[in-house]
Amino acid sequence: MAWGGCGVQTEVMNPAGDLALRASDLRYAYGDRVAVDGVSFELAPGEVLGLLGPNGAGKSTTIKMLIGLLPPQAGSIEVLGMAMTEHRSAIQARLGVVFEEKNLYPTLSGRENLAFFARLFARRDVDLDALLERVGLATRGRDRVSGYSKGMRQRLTVARALLNRPDVLVLDEPTDGLDPVSARSIRGLIREEAERGVAVLLTTHDMYEADGLSDRVAFIDEGRILALDTPEQLKLRHGQRTVRVRRRVDGQVEESVVTLDDDAGDRLRELVAAEGLLTIHTEEATLEDVFVAFAGRRLE
Amino acid sequence: MASHPVTAIIAKDLRLFLRDRFYAFITVLGLGFYVLVFWLLPATADPSIPIGLHLPGGEALLAEALEDEADQGIEVVVFTSSQELEAAVLAGDEVVAGLDFPPEFLAATASGTPTSARVLLTGEAPTVLSDALSAVVAELALAIAGQQPPVTFPEVEELVLGVDRADQVLSWREQLRPLLLLIVLLVEMFALASLVATEISQRTITAILATPARVRDVLAAKTLLGTALAFSQAVVLAAVTATLTRQVVLLLVVLLLGAVLVTGFGLVAGSLGQDFIAIVFWSMVLFVPLVVPAFAMLFPGTPALWIRVLPTYGLAETLVRVTGYGEGWTQVWPELALLSAWCVAASLLGAVVLGRRVVLV
Repeated sequence: MAWGGCGVQTEVMNPAGDLALRASDLRYAYGDRVAVDGVSFELAPGEVLGLLGPNGAGKSTTIKMLIGLLPPQAGSIEVLGMAMTEHRSAIQARLGVVFEEKNLYPTLSGRENLAFFARLFARRDVDLDALLERVGLATRGRDRVSGYSKGMRQRLTVARALLNRPDVLVLDEPTDGLDPVSARSIRGLIREEAERGVAVLLTTHDMYEADGLSDRVAFIDEGRILALDTPEQLKLRHGQRTVRVRRRVDGQVEESVVTLDDDAGDRLRELVAAEGLLTIHTEEATLEDVFVAFAGRRLE
Repeated sequence: MASHPVTAIIAKDLRLFLRDRFYAFITVLGLGFYVLVFWLLPATADPSIPIGLHLPGGEALLAEALEDEADQGIEVVVFTSSQELEAAVLAGDEVVAGLDFPPEFLAATASGTPTSARVLLTGEAPTVLSDALSAVVAELALAIAGQQPPVTFPEVEELVLGVDRADQVLSWREQLRPLLLLIVLLVEMFALASLVATEISQRTITAILATPARVRDVLAAKTLLGTALAFSQAVVLAAVTATLTRQVVLLLVVLLLGAVLVTGFGLVAGSLGQDFIAIVFWSMVLFVPLVVPAFAMLFPGTPALWIRVLPTYGLAETLVRVTGYGEGWTQVWPELALLSAWCVAASLLGAVVLGRRVVLV
């Protein structure tokens, strides 16, 4: 976990108190096409918020506004108690960003890429070797990025996002298209940062990733947040839990599905008590099911 | 701390430039090639036109005529036979045209008997040369016959408007000097365009702008590096071609302005082109009109108005007048002012186009 210049784990400094990021009624339109339409949410230190939505839902435009690349046409952004309109540079100095595209310099080595961005952050004290080791690139740090695999490039972009020891991490589809090993490695890094107290905003269209990583999930579609809660609450409130019971009846396998509502107890007792019971499976709703319930369409 | 992003981006871009084998190759090879071409070109100018002449029995008369014609820029080469003269004109190495007189020419002309002479030309010879040689034949006939036409020739006053450079013919080496310097500057425009376009197409620019670095830092870094690269290479070429032997400060200022000018256009080309083919296309679209003034300097006379309004006209004209004719600040300040105005315009254009492009990524 230790990777800073002095080899000491740092704690997140948050003079604003409990809130790392606040987005209020953000709006942005490209001409007539509204991309973001009144998005509001808050993010606490150490919290992982998953922004879940299909392609074109408004996730990337929201991210661009939150990291200071795009000024909102309406609404406001406050990061660590500072307004984006007034303190953009100060905020960006404390933000770590992983972009969806692997925007690195292919003819520079991994170490040279990190060194360049460290200079942009005016952080000459960063131990680049320790950082490369943390993302599993210690032995390849002096190789040119053009020779890296997709997973290695993505890990390097995560290392770049951690260069300035950020208080807020913004990750746009950090595991998109990666092999399972690389994806797991990056999820591990995200969890470590959250445990350190870093506020993490994560956009993804992978419901399992959002479910596994996020403390809270916001569904976004057509530029609006449809729902925002913990994954558990979303599934409990808006998804269906079922029990699937299989029995052998007259030599044939018969399957019964019981939805867990108020009347489910009696029906389940009947099925379990009956002869020929083979298997009982409980099934929870997925975030995808909940999203469909809200948006009327799937996440793809 | 404000200098951090600018110096960081410059250092990074310089490293990218040096690692790009294509640009390193054309930079080194180009410089070597231009230096070689420069030193292979003739260092002296010979403005006379060699004319072959065959006039049997008229050698004494010719000797007198030769002295007069030499002052007019015509060098006469005497041949002893028509066949030799024809062969020499056809080869084109020794003479560009010939006058062939028959053996009876002198006697026939003196006695007033009709005779003829041949003007020998190749197909590429301009018609004005044929007319001039025909006039020479007529003058020669009048001189031999001792007769003058019944007119009194009016006095002709020769008045050269503008700068008289009739006796200051530049060698090929001197004429090509501004062209070579301009080409070195323009090649750097291409290299800078590529650096800018790659930054945009690979979206590394968004990663930069997500840090405390601002668009103005990116603009400043690209402008400074582009100017430094173009200027340093132009200075190296100028030094190796012995250009910096007089008016050194003035020449350095001219080259610096030239570097600023091509950097502005390099930013434009880089912002418009998103891949190698597009960069080449936009660079060539800008390269062709920008190199025209240097070509115009190869030909005598004042260039046409459309050439004089091109951004690099002030650069080419100043280089020719300073390196070729030894002029100084007081003579070339109007061209310097024009060049400076174009520098401001190109830099503003480059900044606006790149600034807009960066924000839209």
